[in-house]
Amino acid sequence: MLVRDPGCTVLLRVGGVSMQGAGIGDGDLLVVDCGLEPRPGQVVVARLGDGFTVKRLVRWRGGLALAAAHPAYPLLPLPADGDHQLLGVARCVIRRC
Amino acid sequence: MVLATVLIDGNNFYASCEAVVDPAVIGRPLVVLSNNDGCIVSRSAEARALGIAMGTPYFKVRAQLERHGVVVRSSNYALYADMSQRLMSTLERWVEDLEIYSIDEAFGLLHRPAGGDLGDWGRALRRQVLCHLGLPVAVGIAGTKVLAKIANRAAKVDPARGGVLDLAAVADVEALLETIAIEDVWGIGRRLARWCRLRGVAHARALRDMPAGELRRQCGVVGLRLQQELQGHACLPLISVAPAKQETCVSRSFSEPVQSLAQLREALATYLVRAAEKLRQQRQRAGAITVFARTSPFAPASFYSASATVTLPLASNDTAVLLAAALPLAERLFRPHRALAKAGVLLQQLQPDDLLQHHLLVPTTPEQQRRRERLMAVIDGLNRRYGRGAVQWAACGLQPAWAMRRSRLSRAATTCLAQIPRVLAR
Ligand SMILES: [Mg+2]
Repeated sequence: MLVRDPGCTVLLRVGGVSMQGAGIGDGDLLVVDCGLEPRPGQVVVARLGDGFTVKRLVRWRGGLALAAAHPAYPLLPLPADGDHQLLGVARCVIRRC
Repeated sequence: MVLATVLIDGNNFYASCEAVVDPAVIGRPLVVLSNNDGCIVSRSAEARALGIAMGTPYFKVRAQLERHGVVVRSSNYALYADMSQRLMSTLERWVEDLEIYSIDEAFGLLHRPAGGDLGDWGRALRRQVLCHLGLPVAVGIAGTKVLAKIANRAAKVDPARGGVLDLAAVADVEALLETIAIEDVWGIGRRLARWCRLRGVAHARALRDMPAGELRRQCGVVGLRLQQELQGHACLPLISVAPAKQETCVSRSFSEPVQSLAQLREALATYLVRAAEKLRQQRQRAGAITVFARTSPFAPASFYSASATVTLPLASNDTAVLLAAALPLAERLFRPHRALAKAGVLLQQLQPDDLLQHHLLVPTTPEQQRRRERLMAVIDGLNRRYGRGAVQWAACGLQPAWAMRRSRLSRAATTCLAQIPRVLAR
């Protein structure tokens, strides 16, 4: 249930609170499937410059953008020629009780 | 139905793995060092472009690397092995038969549709590996293994080909074969390459077309097979099932010379623990253990090398049994005032672990046997889950001085929960 395909599944540790509204908290473990094509509406992991980030992929002005689930964080547009890469789709969150 | 042979080969595999788990190094020159941070064994495309040669000793180019801001990494075997497994399990779904040839290379067999070009198939495979695993690979497709190697090489060398080449779609195969130097043909040793050169056979096309009789006289059936493969007659079958291993060896060079018997025992114990783990993974038991040690070959005047073997009364893969049998041998290897540079253990007379014969002199009940097996399984499981060394045998010592130098190791980002990369929600 957690892992669709072990070959292209990775675990990442979340740092920060920008996805709190989507139930993804600081320190949670994220199960990410790199074998699924990220689609708007999904929570995705992207490479922005030299770091990984987790956000919701949304349509924006005819293109795509990354949206946080927290009022304090701005929308991050993804220009077609920008230094970014959609890496995979977050499938579930593992949190210590 | 025509069969096509495909060779998939990772580009700069170790360097590419490092970039998969650390986006900060993408686009930067990066090199990976061999054991003990000795030589450069893998370079990113950017490091290649700086003219840094493969195999260069690190100390020689250290200043140059720093000047160019090159990222330097120690070999992270856990990461490379895990990425390799992921790569191979992806490839298995794309071909009908897979032969894993090395950590980043595999041959596959697939059906070629009548008159069909497999270039699109290769590009789709390449895209999936890149998207799913983040690894760039080159795909060479042809009728035989030797030609698939050549197609792969051509796909890599010429950026216009986009990493994929189906030889069947190449208009001028002759010309392409003439760009492959004889030394670069798969299976040609250095000696045979020199012999070909002396005969004016300088490239793959010339080797393909030289008189078979001459080749046969010089290098027998091996050379003939090579030539037939170049002509498009497949005679090297895919070896998809690795034969059961006859021996398992673990050996390492020390970061600092080992001068005491206690240190040598610790080193041998460490290698034996690792070898026993491999043995259980292979579902085998060992009937004999050889331990060996030597001084540095760079000081030939005082070179010393020794080995000692013990035969077990009953074949085993129980770490405790192997340690008890092998560690006393350390005394036979050790000489005072001989600074040892390398040691290792070799497990021999391997047999499947379900064929255990009982021995009159080693009374163990099946119940005792099963308990030991469960203990080993628990230890292996813990070490797999929490990282090697989570459960350690006391004989191996704590933080030994002789251990391999890997000062620039990246994290076990895909295999160890404590070391996975962070994703920012900021
Ligand atoms: Mg390679």
